[in-house]
Amino acid sequence: MLKSTSIRANTALAWHFYRQEYSQSHQRLLRWVQGILLLFIITLSQSSDSIQNYLQMNLNGLLGADVVLSQQQSLTTEQHSEILDIADKVVVTQQVKTTLTHDGKWQQAQIKAVDSRYPLQGELITSSTLDGVGQSNSSGPQSGHIWLDARLLASLSLTIGDYLTIAEQRFAVSRILQHEPDRLMEGHTVAMRAMIHTEDMAALGFAPELIHYRYLIAANSEQTNQLIDWQKEHLPAAVIRHKQGQHPLALFWQRTENFMGLASIILFFMAAIAIEQLTQVHMKKDQFFSAVCMSLGASKAAGLRVSLLKWCISIVFLLPVVVFVSAGCHWLIMHFLSNTFSDLQWHWNFYSVVKPIAAVVAIFAVFHMPVWLAVHKSSVARLFVGDYRGLSHWVSKISSILVLLGVTLIYSDNGLLTLMMVTVIAVTIALMIFLSWSSLTIGEMLTQRVSGLVPFALFMMKQRLVSKSTQIMGIGLCAFLLLFTLMLLKDLGQTMTSYQRQHDGNVFISKATQVQMEFIEDWASEQDISLRQIKPYMYAKLTAVNEQSLARFSQKPSDSMATFSQAIRLHWSQTVPQNNVVASGQWWQSDEQNWQQISIEQEVMTDLGLELGDWLTFYINQQSYDFEIVASHNYKPGAGSITFWVQMPPSALDHIQSPHFSMASMELMDEQWSVLAPLWQKFPTLLMVSLKELTQRFDKLLAMITNVISGFSLMIVLLAAVVILASINSLESNEKKKNSVIMSFGFSRSTCLKLNLIEWFVTASITAVGAILGTYIAGLLIYQSQFSLTYKPDFVWLFLTLLIILSLTTTLGVYASRNSLKSSVRQLLSGT
Amino acid sequence: MPSQIILNDVSQSFFLNDSKITLFKNLNVSISQGESYAITGPSGAGKSSLLMLMSGLEQAATGQGIYRNNNQQKTLDELRSEIGFIFQQFHLLPELTALNNVALPLKLRGDKDALPKAKIWLEKVGLQQRQHHKPSELSGGEQQRVAIARALVFNPKFIFADEPTGNLDQKSAREVTDILFSCCEENNAGLVIVTHSDKLASKAKHIFTLSDGQFKLASTNNLEVIAC
Repeated sequence: MLKSTSIRANTALAWHFYRQEYSQSHQRLLRWVQGILLLFIITLSQSSDSIQNYLQMNLNGLLGADVVLSQQQSLTTEQHSEILDIADKVVVTQQVKTTLTHDGKWQQAQIKAVDSRYPLQGELITSSTLDGVGQSNSSGPQSGHIWLDARLLASLSLTIGDYLTIAEQRFAVSRILQHEPDRLMEGHTVAMRAMIHTEDMAALGFAPELIHYRYLIAANSEQTNQLIDWQKEHLPAAVIRHKQGQHPLALFWQRTENFMGLASIILFFMAAIAIEQLTQVHMKKDQFFSAVCMSLGASKAAGLRVSLLKWCISIVFLLPVVVFVSAGCHWLIMHFLSNTFSDLQWHWNFYSVVKPIAAVVAIFAVFHMPVWLAVHKSSVARLFVGDYRGLSHWVSKISSILVLLGVTLIYSDNGLLTLMMVTVIAVTIALMIFLSWSSLTIGEMLTQRVSGLVPFALFMMKQRLVSKSTQIMGIGLCAFLLLFTLMLLKDLGQTMTSYQRQHDGNVFISKATQVQMEFIEDWASEQDISLRQIKPYMYAKLTAVNEQSLARFSQKPSDSMATFSQAIRLHWSQTVPQNNVVASGQWWQSDEQNWQQISIEQEVMTDLGLELGDWLTFYINQQSYDFEIVASHNYKPGAGSITFWVQMPPSALDHIQSPHFSMASMELMDEQWSVLAPLWQKFPTLLMVSLKELTQRFDKLLAMITNVISGFSLMIVLLAAVVILASINSLESNEKKKNSVIMSFGFSRSTCLKLNLIEWFVTASITAVGAILGTYIAGLLIYQSQFSLTYKPDFVWLFLTLLIILSLTTTLGVYASRNSLKSSVRQLLSGT
Repeated sequence: MPSQIILNDVSQSFFLNDSKITLFKNLNVSISQGESYAITGPSGAGKSSLLMLMSGLEQAATGQGIYRNNNQQKTLDELRSEIGFIFQQFHLLPELTALNNVALPLKLRGDKDALPKAKIWLEKVGLQQRQHHKPSELSGGEQQRVAIARALVFNPKFIFADEPTGNLDQKSAREVTDILFSCCEENNAGLVIVTHSDKLASKAKHIFTLSDGQFKLASTNNLEVIAC
């Protein structure tokens, strides 16, 4: 009874103090920090949940079959009959990537060939006009007819009833393709689509290695399991999708979520700095309150309870606001992503909001722990003396570091990038500390015999080195992170565009058969077109590492893992390609007899956790081949951009029977563009893309990245402002006292303002130099490795940035410190 | 002729919940450089406000404050650079050592010999051995001695002290009092002390009381001061 009364009384007291401190700056700043982080995490997890939910629904509704088996080659008669033994019904579709031409216009498209049994499940919807109502079709087009999707129809300026010629075969454009039930298998590509009859596909005479086969199978769950087992045993290189499995985009989105999560480490880091600064004020207030309670006969637990309850009340009242704003942000993101995921709906999952809130609140509790530990460890005497040092100081640092490590581990899926990001942050911190110490020490030493306010300001800053370094570090890190994010955004666009133009010509051939390539070489020399690079490759599907299936070997989603779930391009070269450099191991010698050697790109090695000496099993043209990793390589810019993740010695070609393809680039003059149309007419499957088209695609991608990064930068700017305000707030009482003491020596308030201005200018200078150096190091480390870009710092841009950081930090600092200038000698007389 | 602070017919009042509270009315007093003054009286009588008026840090509601220096009459605003303060709570800057606390006003004035001069003053107050200690490592008495050195190091013409021994034990209070008076005497600085302590007040040459708005001269002593 007594206990419940005391808890009620403590709650009432906590409520009272919460209300009283509500508008005080330390509480307001804490709410901002907590609010921004919660908003980010809740919005991220809700968006993620909606997308995963959408993908699962999508998988069930858009697979067009119970099981889909897809591979580069057609099944043998024996394999086909084995599948029919297991399942009841199988429908086959063939896909080929081509370039369609009409009336001097060309457009890349994916043609799907179907027979009369298609679709197996779901609806095939077409219309006869662009804005017409869709009609369900019981089968695909008849022989001699082609159905095009609306975008393809428009881009080739075709209308229903026109004729389209592909590889000298005429097709009547008879309907507009609106929806295919097995659309899901197209993944997230935005390729334009066309549909023809299977018989016509045979007549077009495409090289068999260019055709991709997909088998739509009707099966119950037992048959599905049998099919999965059968595929593992007989067709390990084939890709199988089924309704019980994962959406092909699930991994892609998981990676996006992980990337955003990893980026949130930056926000957590800044929040940790801000909260650490605010903790000083909270500690003093809570300790003082606890001391008063204890001196009046209350137990130590009562003070602790009030402190805990006050914190809980503040979280409870913050949550509804954050959840409401998050719901709005979530809606905006869903709206933004609906271009990528059609029919994506805003969907609020109350359960999935609880988990991130619980996790983030727990992290806040860890950040706030020093306050409670300090209250718990204090005695009345110690509290009144105001000795706040000791355990709590270290606890705050260690607990913050542990939390940040935890966040990094949870979200990291690219080991190398994470390591580099953490290294750069650590180096920047060390740099800032060194810069603060050295510049203040040297500055103070050099100006010791000089009169004026600058030497005095340097002297005072040097004397307060620890608190000043923390402030500089906090602001500096914010500036660094912001600068790096913005620089990346700016340089990624600029460097890539100019780099492509510089070295690789303006047309890329991503896939040409041997016959096509030979023709192109002759054609290019006839037309006086310069071919920049030609690199051969074959398709290979990685199935096992050290005899362990790939799925079992690495379960972490990563860029590399996503790419290896499909067949990759395997290149061969006797010597190290000019645009590669060996990172570890040794490249094969020319007289080497051992052909089972392979070199892997260094980042792929890190992502998948591969080591030199590991054995990789590749399926190439239905056959299994083992290779030992003998080297790893990195991309070296300056000698062309076509590079391969996996490379083997040419001697391996004697042992592998598989079609060869080529990647190439060429430079066309303005007047030569018209000669491309006949080339496509002759080889519709030739995959070529112009720089203009590439730039357009890149611009679209960049526009999306710009939106994401801008939103993220806004969060950083907000948190940076909070960090500055928090650091000022934590030192405000000291600053006030300093200003009052200075005034008691006969100086005016304007002297204090001038001193303040000088201090902030010095702080901003160290901060800006540190941030720029940190950004430079990050550029050197990360640009090359992660984006294959040469980092060329633009010094004019850096100098301008320096000026902007200087003026913004000084202005915000001086403005935010205006309270500390509202001091007077009278305050000292009254003992405050 | 020594510098003087003169208050003529000054009154001070403030508003509390819309009602005007008058601290004192038509007060006249003259403070001379080289002399010592004590102001006593009950809490809330307006002693600290009077100190603020004398030092020119606040304006009187009515009346006039004059700073007379070298036979020239100036406003009290011009007194600012000629005064030093000593507080009951010491108010040393916690991150600075004793030596740097004392050197602070000199450094602010751009004095190139700030540290040697500060050392001399620490010796004068008997703390040459504690010059590298921070305030948290000094006793209350020692902190107040550092504060005295800091207030006098730039040779101000007047020192204003607000309950300088209020936070000290008897022994420390005695030591601080002796040092304060002797140093002011040696520096020819006028000393104005606000205090509740009769013992401390009795050390001053002129003792005033401020009570119920009445400001009166209680007594005038002939002092014997030990050299600092």
